Amino acid sequence: MKSTKDTDQDCARAWDAMPWVLQDSAPQEQSAWLTDHLARCEACREEFAQQSRLRLALSLPTGIQLDPEAGLKRLMGRIDADETDEAAPRARVSAWLTRALVAAVLVQAVGIGILGVELWSSDSGRSPYRTLSSPAQQIAPGAIRVVPDTNMKLADWNTLLHSLQLEVVNGPNDVGAYTVMPTHTSTAEVALQQLRTTHGIRLAEPVAASP
Amino acid sequence: MKDADIDADETDRLLLQRMATGDRAALATLYRAYHGRLCRFLSRLTRRNDVIEEVINDCFWIVWQKAGSFNGDSRVSTWIIGITYRCGLKALRQRGDEPVDDEGLPEDRTPAFDPGEDRELRDWLGKAMERLSADQRVVVELVYGVGHTLDDVATIMQCPVGTVKARLFHARVKLRNILPALAGDPITPKENRVP
Repeated sequence: MKSTKDTDQDCARAWDAMPWVLQDSAPQEQSAWLTDHLARCEACREEFAQQSRLRLALSLPTGIQLDPEAGLKRLMGRIDADETDEAAPRARVSAWLTRALVAAVLVQAVGIGILGVELWSSDSGRSPYRTLSSPAQQIAPGAIRVVPDTNMKLADWNTLLHSLQLEVVNGPNDVGAYTVMPTHTSTAEVALQQLRTTHGIRLAEPVAASP
Repeated sequence: MKDADIDADETDRLLLQRMATGDRAALATLYRAYHGRLCRFLSRLTRRNDVIEEVINDCFWIVWQKAGSFNGDSRVSTWIIGITYRCGLKALRQRGDEPVDDEGLPEDRTPAFDPGEDRELRDWLGKAMERLSADQRVVVELVYGVGHTLDDVATIMQCPVGTVKARLFHARVKLRNILPALAGDPITPKENRVP
């Protein structure tokens, strides 16, 4: 004969097993054990009957009936509305971006226009810009072609040009020749003579005399 | 898990994959498949039809948006019922639980398939469930009605298995004490016999 303690432990075990046996998810051994226990325990038999009735009641159709098609239609409408709402901000962002790009292009166009006007007005009062490597200009009378010695210092060259009142109008060319012009035509001949006698000047010839 | 459950879950996963690509036909299929069981489940939380329908649509709204991020750790049904549970609790918090009496139902909403014995059983169940807390009703429905395991219920309710066990235990103790009386049986105190 089982003791009261054993019976209580069995009833606790039966209590735990009931839901899963009712669900048909309990292992075979557990179901068999419960069946055996219920045959010997009236209290657990009553409890199990009550649990079975509860499960049966829960399996009955509920009193609440809703039309799934109506609900589904509302859900689809909600999804449509959401997608429309999502598209609207995208369109707003796109319009804003377009306006910003147009504004940027306008600003650039205005800037280029102002710059163009500025360059046109500044160029109109000046002689065209040219570099020393540009094709030779029409040489004015009195021009002298000078070839300084390669060892001549730049400071000496500058001092010489300054003292003779000459300015470089062209060169140096491929052989190192400069074309210089007296700032006063009347000094051209004098300047030529002095250049020829200056140490460090390898050649000084009037341009007209050159081949 | 039974073979039928495995097949159903596989079908549900395929539907979710299609939904992730924006397939509304897949959404409609899943919606129709779950509508009945979600109605039943939510009827344990509230008997207000408008709230139930709103919660089902809230749930499927989330399922539609999250279909691509379903990680597959649980069955699809467990995932969906979990979402429904949380949406249901949120709706109840916002609106308050106002159960609708059967007598208050319009004639055309009273089930036509309700013979006397079933109706008696439903009334008995309804009165018993009213004595339980919302969480206890949900656990009883999920275990006895739907047939979920404790692990599934813990996943759905996002709580430890021990909490589910405790809720189920207390719900059963309450029911044990009130069900016989509700059925018209003589009341016998049984608290001392609860294991």
